[in-house]
This record gives sequence, C-alpha cells and structure tokens, in this order.
Amino acid sequence: MLQAIDLTKRYEDDLLALDKLSLEVKEGETFCLLGANGAGKTTTINLFLNFIEPTGGQVLINGIDVAQNPLEAKKYISYVSENVMLYGNFTARQNLNYFARLGGKRELKKEDYYMYMRNIGLTDNAFEMRVKNFSKGMRQKLGITIAIIKDAPNILLDEPTAGLDPKAAAEFIKIISGLRDSGKSIIMCTHDIFRAREIADRIGIMKAGRLVMSRTREEFLGDDLEQIYMDYMRETA
Amino acid sequence: MLRDIINKEMLDTISSPKFVFTFLLCTILILLSVYTGINSYRAELGEYNASIALNRKNLESQPSYGALAGLGVKVTKPPQVLSTIVSGIQEAVGRKASVNVAYDPSLVDSKYDSNPVFAVFGELDLSFIVKIVLSLLAILFTFDAVVGEKERGTLKLTLSNNVPRDRFILGKAIGSFASLLLPLIIPMVLGLIILTVYPDISLTGEDWLRIGIIFILFLLYISVFFMLGLFVSARTSRSSTSLLVLLFIWVTFVTVIPRAAVMAAGQIYPIPSVHEITAQKDAFLQEIQGLAPQKLNEWRQENPPQDTQEYQDKFKKFLEELQQDLTSKIDKKNAAIEEEYQAKRRKQEALATNLSRISPTSTLMFGAMSLGRTGIHEHERFLNSIKTYKPVFTKWVNAKMMRTLKLGSVEQPRPDISDMPVHQFEPESLNQSLAAALPDFAIMILLIILFFTGAFVSFLRYDVR
Repeated sequence: MLQAIDLTKRYEDDLLALDKLSLEVKEGETFCLLGANGAGKTTTINLFLNFIEPTGGQVLINGIDVAQNPLEAKKYISYVSENVMLYGNFTARQNLNYFARLGGKRELKKEDYYMYMRNIGLTDNAFEMRVKNFSKGMRQKLGITIAIIKDAPNILLDEPTAGLDPKAAAEFIKIISGLRDSGKSIIMCTHDIFRAREIADRIGIMKAGRLVMSRTREEFLGDDLEQIYMDYMRETA
Repeated sequence: MLRDIINKEMLDTISSPKFVFTFLLCTILILLSVYTGINSYRAELGEYNASIALNRKNLESQPSYGALAGLGVKVTKPPQVLSTIVSGIQEAVGRKASVNVAYDPSLVDSKYDSNPVFAVFGELDLSFIVKIVLSLLAILFTFDAVVGEKERGTLKLTLSNNVPRDRFILGKAIGSFASLLLPLIIPMVLGLIILTVYPDISLTGEDWLRIGIIFILFLLYISVFFMLGLFVSARTSRSSTSLLVLLFIWVTFVTVIPRAAVMAAGQIYPIPSVHEITAQKDAFLQEIQGLAPQKLNEWRQENPPQDTQEYQDKFKKFLEELQQDLTSKIDKKNAAIEEEYQAKRRKQEALATNLSRISPTSTLMFGAMSLGRTGIHEHERFLNSIKTYKPVFTKWVNAKMMRTLKLGSVEQPRPDISDMPVHQFEPESLNQSLAAALPDFAIMILLIILFFTGAFVSFLRYDVR
C-alpha cells in the first residue's frame, strides 16, 4: 500500500512543488496522476523513492515511513521511469540479472530471465542483444520486466508510455493491468488521459503541487475526462 | 550487493570501447617505452665502457706527470639500469667530469649536449607514460562515473532499490579501478618480462625491489587521478562539465604547478649564476698562480742555486710543498665558494620541491627518480664523490710529479698509473632512497584519501534526479 499524508515539498528557492498532498493506493489499485509539467507528479514519485526529503508530511510504503527508513521501504517498491536507459553495453539479460540481484533476487538462472522477457513480449533474439540497440518500446518493456522480477507489492510509473507508439503503449498498459490484477498497488504519472482512463481505478489531477481533483473509476467513467482535465487547467490558469 | 556492483562496473567498463582503446594504447606505449629505455641504457652502457677504456688509454699515453696533472682523470657516471623505467634527469645533466689539479670538477657532456634533438621532445620512458597518458586515462575512466549514471537514468533505477549509497560508490570505485588496472598491469608485466630476457640488462634483487616499489608509486599516482575523477563526477550534474573541470585540474597538476613552483622558488631565494661562481673561482686561481713565481723567487733568494744533488732534492721538495700548498688553497677556496653556492641552491631547491609537491605529478617524479636512482640526489651524490676524489688525485699527482721531476731536462718520466687512486662511488642505498621517497608516498596516499572522502561524502548528498 502506498500512502502520502499531507506531503509537502518546498525547495530552497522557496518554490512550493507539493502542497499537502494526501493519497492512498490500496492493493490491486492503480492511481493515475494527471497534470501539466511542473504540477508535482514527478516530485511525488521522487519523494516516494526518497530521492528528495519532504519539508512536511509523510510518505509510507506498506506502512514504512520512507524518510525514516528508506532502505527498508525500498524493498517494497519498484520504479519504471519515462525513459528506461539501462546499461547500453549490457545485453538485456545482463541488465535484468544486475537489477534483479539489486532487488534481492539472486537465485534466477538464464532461462528464468528468458521466460520473463518472453512473457513481457520481447522476442528471443533480443535476449542477448545489447540494450543500446533496443527501441524505446523494447527498453520500456525491459524496465517493467525489472519491476516484475523484483516482485515488489508497489510500483511507481513515471510517464511510462511517453514516446511510445500506440501499439507499444497498448501493450504496455496491458502489462500494467496484469500487474494491477495480481494485487500490486500502482501509481502512474502521465499526460496520457486516454491511457489513464483505460487503466486507472482512480484518477487525480494535480495543479501547482496540489491534488485538485480525485475521482474513482465509477465516478469518471461516464464523464468526458479530457473536458474535466481541461476545465481544471483553465480554472486555475 | 557490493560484489554485484563491482562486477557490474567491471563488466560495463570492459565491454566499452574506451577499455579496448585504453588497453591498446597502454600496451603500445608501455612496451615502446620499455624498448626505448632498454636501447637507451644499452647505448649508455656502451658509451660508459668506451669512455673508461679511452680514459685509461689517455692516462697511460701522457708524456709526464705534469701533463697528467693538467689533463686529469675523466670520471664517467655509470648508467643506472633503472633508467630503463625512469630516466629522470640523467639525460639532461652531464655524465663526465675532468678531475685535474687546477679546476673544480663539474659534470659535462649530457646526452642533450651531444644531440640536442633529444631535448626537443624528451624521453619516452615509463614514468612519462604514467605521468601524462595514464593519468589522463584515469580521468577518462571516471569523469562520468557518477554523473554519467545520472544522465543515463541508471542511477535512479539503481537507487530505487534498497542499495545503500555508500556501498554503491564504494562498489563503483573498486570495480572501475580494477578494470582500469587490467590494461595497465598486463603491458607492464610484459614490459618487465622483456626487461629480464634482454641481454645486457642485469637486474639485482634490490633492483627488482625498487621496480616493485616504483610500480606501487605509479599505481598510487593513477589512483590519485582516478579518485579525483570520481570526486568531480560526484560534484557535477553534467558529464561535460565534469570533463572540463578535470582537464583543467589535470593541466594545473601536470604542467602549471611544477613549473610555477620552480619559478616561485627562484624569485623567493635567488642564487648567483654558474658563470658568477666560475668567475670567482677563476679569479682566485689567477691570484694563486700569480703567487707561484713570487714564492719561487723568494725561495731562490733564500737558497742561492748550487750544482749539488742535495740542492736539487731540496728544490724538488720545495716545489712539491708549494704545489701542494697552492692546490690545497685553490681547493679550499673553491670548496668555500661552492659550499656557499650549494647552500643557497639547496635552499631554493628544497622550496621548489616542497612547493611543487602540491601536485601529484611532482611527487610521482621525485619519488620515482629517488627509487630509480636517476634523480637530483643521486646526481649530487655523484658530483660530491668526484669533489671528494679531486684532492686525493691532486695530492697523488703532485707528489708523483715533484718526486720524479728531472730538473733542467725536457724529458720527464712517463707516468705510472698503477697506484693512482681510483674514483669510488657508492650509489644510494634502498633505505636512503625510500627515506627520500617517503614524503611522496605520504602525499599521494593523503590525496587519495582526500579525494575519495570527497567523492564519498558528495555522493551521499548527490541529487540523483
């Protein structure tokens, strides 16, 4: 379970990046955070990963305070960035092996990695290919494979479908759905309203560091989500 | 986990084009430097042996002790076998000195004197390769160690796991350094093998020990730049900035500080030029030479000439005493002038050395030259040994000259050099070399600790976003 309680981040230059954000993502739930650039989506992710310290409030991962016990909290979270780069000189399997071991999975064999990659939709010839020769879609798939192998109960996705072609994005969302259905708590930051609508159990709209709207799937399903988003953006402009 | 990070770092580096480039470059340069070092040493050895033989022949062919006293003995500096690795100042300073009754001996005829083209580019010895090329390669290995991971996005992904930052930076340092050592150690070992199998190269147990310690010094030097690279990489947010900063520091360390230190020491403690010193010595020599006829006239007035053997013996005895007295005065005066000059020079040299030790490049050169016995200390030791030898030779030749002098005869007995005192030189012992190199080791270790601590602390606070 992922929780943010009155989470606030003010930078040294007095910029308020996050203003008392509170949210909770339960097991088997996907929370999509929408918002313009600078709205505070990535700041939220960075606070969950303890890359920055909050100036107020709390971040809890499975009940563990991230600021107090970051290493313990990180055992229960996986992260997929907007642009998964990995080590270009390594093959896909070598990258998986390294990150799997960092994630605590030390007993996996070559065949296990092949199975994971096959399941995610990577073709066999990609397994031992250097990642620097991968397309963005392939790298994103490898990134989510790392998360799958770690098998943490919580997943943070920072604009994971940005720059992907529609087919690759659809495939990616299907994978996320599968993870959600397996009981993972997922926060996905995105600009892609269409994909958010497709996968989210809850959607939040962020503006200037504040969560200005939060609706469940039942609440937004009949609505024109794009119109709601545009209205919020206009209101606060 | 630490092992995983080390393995990853090594694999990442070894599979990169920069590793292949470094390996090839190091192999070519290190082997080339050893080869040129060996050839240079063999040529020096050949010249040394020829010079010794020629000197003996010259001495034996002199018509009289008087001619021998004027010509003097040519003392040649024996080449150091470790100059194959660290040529030091060997090529720039003189290798031969004439020891005669008149002049204060000084070393002349450097390799650069005999062929100035060598001075244009300097020697391509192993210490030069380490000083310039390997320090640059160490920087190339580390300038993006941290910041590159940030730019690639792998740092965020890595630290999203429960990876302690201290372990990550430690793993990176160990793994990256180990993979940098591979392209250095393999060619160095090959170079040593070549050194052992080459004819004319005879290495004693102490030489091997010295080589081992020099290699440790080389590794420390490379580690300084490696840790510096890691430090700057953990202080910057762009790899291009990191590279620029490191190149600036490299230029400052390698070229600016050593030269600036020498210039500053020259300004703070100015010393008279060698020409001024020579002029002082020459003036005294002329003064003394002017005294000789005066003393001779005085003696003749006191001892009117007689055609007896007793008179001749008395006259020869007087001449010998006069000669010994005058040369002794010359030697004492020269020694006094020299001592004053050397004291000032040593003060300037100590200041230049200590100031330049801010740079690891200077510490490398001073340390390696001490251990290779090719530095300033060894040169001074040799020069001092010649200066010690001079009065011994002078006394012997004066005694021989006067005792065998045939008064009133043009024909003088040919010199017999079988009992001529031989110049002795005891090279610096390993303990002495180590004592001289100790500050250099200490400074390098201090810099390594300083830069690694800097990198470590910086990374703990590094903004990975």
